[in-house]
Amino acid sequence: MGIHGLTKLISEHAPGAIRPHEIGSYFGRKVAIDASMSIYQFMIAVRQQDGQMLTNDAGETTSHLMGMFYRTIRMVDNGIKPVYVFDGKPPMMKSGELALRLERRKEAEKNIEEAKEVGTSDDVNKFTRRTVKVTKEHNDECKRLLKCMGIPYVEAPCEAEAQCAALAKANKVFAAASEDMDTITFASPILLRHLTFSEQRKMPIDEVNLSKVLEGLELTMDQFIDLCILLGCDYVDSIKGIGPHRAINLIKEHKCLEKIIPALPEKLRENVPADWKYDEARELFRKPEVADCTDMELKWEEPNIENLVDFLVKEKGFNEERVRKASEKLHKNAKAATQGRIQDFFNSVPTQNTGIKRKAPADTKKDDKKKKGGRKPK
Amino acid sequence: MDALPNASDFFFFPYSHLTTTTTLDTMLEARLQQAKLLKSLLEAIKELVTECNFDCNDSGIALQAMDNSHVALVALLLRSDGFDPYRCDRNLPLGLNLTNLNKILKCAGNDDILTLKADDGGDTLSLVFESKDNDKICEYDLKLMDIDSEHLGIPDTSYDAIVHMSSAEFQRICRDLSQISESVKIDATKDGIKFSGEGEVGNGSITLKQNANVDNEDEATRIELQQSVSLTFSLKYLANFTKATPLSTRVTLSMSNDVPLLVEYKLDNLGYVRYYLAPKIGEEN
Repeated sequence: MGIHGLTKLISEHAPGAIRPHEIGSYFGRKVAIDASMSIYQFMIAVRQQDGQMLTNDAGETTSHLMGMFYRTIRMVDNGIKPVYVFDGKPPMMKSGELALRLERRKEAEKNIEEAKEVGTSDDVNKFTRRTVKVTKEHNDECKRLLKCMGIPYVEAPCEAEAQCAALAKANKVFAAASEDMDTITFASPILLRHLTFSEQRKMPIDEVNLSKVLEGLELTMDQFIDLCILLGCDYVDSIKGIGPHRAINLIKEHKCLEKIIPALPEKLRENVPADWKYDEARELFRKPEVADCTDMELKWEEPNIENLVDFLVKEKGFNEERVRKASEKLHKNAKAATQGRIQDFFNSVPTQNTGIKRKAPADTKKDDKKKKGGRKPK
Repeated sequence: MDALPNASDFFFFPYSHLTTTTTLDTMLEARLQQAKLLKSLLEAIKELVTECNFDCNDSGIALQAMDNSHVALVALLLRSDGFDPYRCDRNLPLGLNLTNLNKILKCAGNDDILTLKADDGGDTLSLVFESKDNDKICEYDLKLMDIDSEHLGIPDTSYDAIVHMSSAEFQRICRDLSQISESVKIDATKDGIKFSGEGEVGNGSITLKQNANVDNEDEATRIELQQSVSLTFSLKYLANFTKATPLSTRVTLSMSNDVPLLVEYKLDNLGYVRYYLAPKIGEEN
């Protein structure tokens, strides 16, 4: 699940790299969204009042469709052009992490049984959420829904985050949207977090800017990847006893993992996992398996409202009036022209002001006074 | 902090009195015959921009800022020869909160004589309002702030269509069309300029024909056309620009396809207010 403690480390060392924005400020932006993670999120978060998943009359789960339909419409209504990216097969390196997740799910299932007998309903809810699994059917239904909505999607050969990052790198989209910080380790220039959250949570979108992250941490991209491996990623175990603070200092001092390991104190060196394949993990981040997107064409089309009604209302038991009303928003925005931005036309020039300010006046007396001045720090 | 100056300071460091406020070390001094002008200027930009730098140098005072969503840009120039007197020894950026500046300008009478003063490295802008008959003087100091602003290079564009028209008429058109539509399509041809809007309730359009109305120069619509253009813009922003209407009876709209619209209000003998607005772009998928 992403990189351990990276967000905190960034906000300490590069405070300018994560900035909150209103969803409205992303009008006209194309954004690649990690679909598999979003669906998982929806299945956990979109629930009935009693904590059960939403289902239709036949008992089929509809939480994922509900989430995908309304949250996508919220984005489109704000002028955002989303493209969803679905996971392919997981990389070999991830098998350890996946086995761990399976184990946790099994344990949760066991706990449910227990909780049903002795525990409270809160306990049952807690453990049912942990047993959530996204199946191929869920993914296929979401793809069918997106087709009806006129929203494009991409099937990644491997990890969706890596594909999102590749799309952003190739300038096909403005940013990648995911909750996992992995996405910037895959070198997405911009990462948006909380984009698919519900409106009620009033959570601003956090925009993580990779170049500012590197600038703030004073690292190169390769050093940054090594830092992420030290912090703990999905692919290899981390070294016990090395926290975020020590990790960043080690990277700054020794520049790469090869040099860090022999330099570790005796005690910590014992904790280095046996057969530690950090170099393979590094390759996965540097050259992940992604589909070439230079010729990929992403098309946003008019929604097919009748198909949407057939699917969501007739098959899945959604309320027809609400589906039609929401689809109307899709239709309206598909037609609407996109508002341009001034920077698309005029280029930024280095500010003259700061240049002049830095030139200290010859008179040192004046300079002293400037420092004392009560101006707000930048 | 400010110790009493002793005699040796005056002898050896002629500028040591910088630590106290006197007019001698003032860096910027600009005197405007009518406060009304600056009051109207603030009304014209304060909706769009809340904080920005006024860049002062020996040629005058300039300002450039984008609105929050980076859709519009305002550029303002007040040339030094519009002031009497005007003095600015060195480039000096004055970072100001426009809402607060506006509060202070509201205290000035329209016909007051207004003087702006700032010290080098000082942290306030002084504003002095003198009544015409010279029997009332108001002095205000406004705190300055450091503002990190992005400065954009605006290329010299030779526009395909330049329309000169009455500023009041332009304001009226924007107001009327915003009743029914969010955006306006502007078509400029050799015959005239057409503004059209389309919304849920219906649609509407206003066409102004090219005319050289000799009786009333202010009302005339003149079009310099290299090539016909058709562009779509957000009315919300245009309506905002027309807050500059009191500054000039005339407005100039300069357009080329697929570049920002330039809306310019010229200030008599002083400079200009220019607004740039990024167009709405149709499907490019």
